[in-house]
Amino acid sequence: MSGDLVQILEGNTFVVSDSAGDVEASPTDPTGLFSFDTRFLSEWILTINGERLNALSTDDLQYYETRFFLVPGTGTVYVDAKLSVIRQRAVGDGFREQLTIMNHDDKPVDLEVRIDAGSDFADLFEVKDALKKKGSYERRVERDRLVLGYKRETFERETVITSTSHAKIDEQGLTFKVRVEPHGQWATELAVTAVLGSLNVLTQRGDKRARPNMARGLTKWVHKAPTLETDVDSLKATYRRSLVDLAALRFETRTMPGHSLPAAGLPWFMTIFGRDSIFTSLQSLPFTPELAATTLRALGERQGTRIDDFRDEDPGRILHEARFGEMTAFEERPHSPYYGNADATAMYVVLLDEYERWTGDHRLVRDLEYQARAALNWIDEFADLQGNGYVSYKRRNEKTGLENQCWKDSWDSISYRDGALPGFPRATCELQGYAYDSKMRGARLARLVWHDQAFAERLEKEAGDLKRRFNHDFWVEDGEYFAVALDADGRQVDSLTSNIGHLLWSGIVDKSKAKTIARHLMSDRLFSGWGIRTLAVGEGRYNPIGYHVGSVWPFDNSFIAWGLRRYGFKEEAARVAEGILDAAQFFDGRLPEAFGGYPREMTKYPVQYPTACSPQAWSTGAPLLFLRTMLGLEPVGDYLVVDPALPASIGQLELLDIPGRWGRIDAFGRSRVGTSGR
Amino acid sequence: MASVAMKKGRRAQDPTAEFFEDLATRGPEPLLQSASGTMRFDLKDGARVEHWYVTTDKGQSRVSHKEAKADAIIRTDKALFDKIATGKANVTAATLRGTLVLEGDIALVMAFQRLFPSPPRPRRRARPDDRKGSAR
Repeated sequence: MSGDLVQILEGNTFVVSDSAGDVEASPTDPTGLFSFDTRFLSEWILTINGERLNALSTDDLQYYETRFFLVPGTGTVYVDAKLSVIRQRAVGDGFREQLTIMNHDDKPVDLEVRIDAGSDFADLFEVKDALKKKGSYERRVERDRLVLGYKRETFERETVITSTSHAKIDEQGLTFKVRVEPHGQWATELAVTAVLGSLNVLTQRGDKRARPNMARGLTKWVHKAPTLETDVDSLKATYRRSLVDLAALRFETRTMPGHSLPAAGLPWFMTIFGRDSIFTSLQSLPFTPELAATTLRALGERQGTRIDDFRDEDPGRILHEARFGEMTAFEERPHSPYYGNADATAMYVVLLDEYERWTGDHRLVRDLEYQARAALNWIDEFADLQGNGYVSYKRRNEKTGLENQCWKDSWDSISYRDGALPGFPRATCELQGYAYDSKMRGARLARLVWHDQAFAERLEKEAGDLKRRFNHDFWVEDGEYFAVALDADGRQVDSLTSNIGHLLWSGIVDKSKAKTIARHLMSDRLFSGWGIRTLAVGEGRYNPIGYHVGSVWPFDNSFIAWGLRRYGFKEEAARVAEGILDAAQFFDGRLPEAFGGYPREMTKYPVQYPTACSPQAWSTGAPLLFLRTMLGLEPVGDYLVVDPALPASIGQLELLDIPGRWGRIDAFGRSRVGTSGR
Repeated sequence: MASVAMKKGRRAQDPTAEFFEDLATRGPEPLLQSASGTMRFDLKDGARVEHWYVTTDKGQSRVSHKEAKADAIIRTDKALFDKIATGKANVTAATLRGTLVLEGDIALVMAFQRLFPSPPRPRRRARPDDRKGSAR
């Protein structure tokens, strides 16, 4: 069978098929047509005269559209192929497939064209975990259509299949008896519609969004973003790739039609994630500020109001992840929505402030005052699980909740030097940085927009105190860096990690300690030459291809570089940017979620960490943030300060038409670090 | 005072009525600050359907049984709504299941659903109210 998977999507509807366009999914196989976290097709197989087809090539026309060129037979020699077949498929509220068969022979041919269709209506979670279905299935033929159905109590989902050409429809699929004249062709359009039952209200369906609009939308999106001019062609390609992927990752919610926010990853994470949507919005602010506005509104609408152990919800908490499938519906999973993260709430305020600094949009800051205050309140009232004045996490949903509620969310991501794992609650260091930053930024907004001087002073006082205590309590004396966490007993979890870079970004690091932190980040233990590793070489759990224990994350590095610049380490920031952007070339400009932490001189190319999800939103956003960092873009009042510091390999860098409160502005950077600054 | 006592007596058996009456008498609700419109709740109780209308404007809500034009309609069983009104069932999950059906202005319903109470907790963790300002 054809090995490579092809995926196309629109919003949270997507198709993953093999390179011939067929879907033949086993329960755990992640192929099929998915919409709102449910699989609507697990079988979609084209045969001609009983024979499967073989892929000659696949054209990814757009992220929502693809074309398969096929010939009958599954052999490797196509010399005798007298027929060719084109399947052109576009995703909408399901998908449409234009099927064309061409006869290259001098004689007419009679063909039996067959589509076999079926669906297991699996929840995305079931595809991951291979769980058994509890409802019942139905297949029925209604005049000119085939309906596949699934029902569990009041939960109903249907797949409706139709064709523009006459077909003989049975419960297993559609058959076409076709005669194709010499050098002639035959075509039909198949439509597969995902019917969400009572949930149709949550979709945009009925809008009849036509394909040309989608294409125009993409072109407009790319044109609206700033233009990049540089002598490094690969950087231009990476930039364009980022913009197009960001377009594909846009996600609309029913409450704000016409506005989109970034989902976390394609295709499995095409949903609202608090953390990912916020980080990506921060990265893309200088380029596409509307993503941040929608993210802030959408997450604000869904901010926690209850104390709900199953959902790990508290008043003021920003959600972690929202899902729409059967297991969520029947509360076998807590994603309705699930709130188990310890960072998105503080980050929400950080994003609101950064958004105001770029756009000057006071209206949104006023509209979201209640939400921002509730978020700030959450930090003190609900996140301080140990009563020691630090944000920590411990899930209350012990069955299906998340154990690690920081961005390094794998089981072994937080460890002592010797590799031992701390218990819960855990107060990881970057959470304290985010809390500090959110208080400082909240204070600025309180003064500027909410006109609450007393609140601003209180927040600044709390932030100052947090910073003072943090620089004492988290400081590992014998290593001269910040511990990755404090454990349940308040002891330091003392391994050296990339988390210390986030601390620079948040500004919680005492000036006197910053140089030492920067030195650690750029040391051989953390910096691989491509980027900064999640965990330092020499730590007990270090593994260059471990998910959060040695691999390099582009998103992580983009925030670390921003942090380095915040403390004046321009050259170091440029080196990190250079390393990751160099790595991007090996992935055609599309940075993966993570790659191996092997030293650069050893592998010569970045070794990709195997992952099913690409592009990943915050990897897509990383090059954007690196551009900002290299150019030293910083909004100050109504002006944009440009203070470029380019790595040696970039001679010239120009970003034109940067949107913001200043209207549009150009930024120029030239030649080597140190020589181009002002 | 007599009317209050009467209401309380009724509330004990009718969590839905209690929820709506509470809503009508409380002050401005910040969670509804940016939501405005009328919601109709059709609550099926055996053969009859109970209708509640909630009109909300700048945080202030009016509750009535009197027919009005609705921007959003919420349809479900009275038994399920009793559970929602006491935090024992979740609106979002019920909507995904199809036991609760929404029509119309979803943003309005989404803003409104945040007013439903927390689920009852068997063992309440002490809320760290005393820790307020501990970051000082």
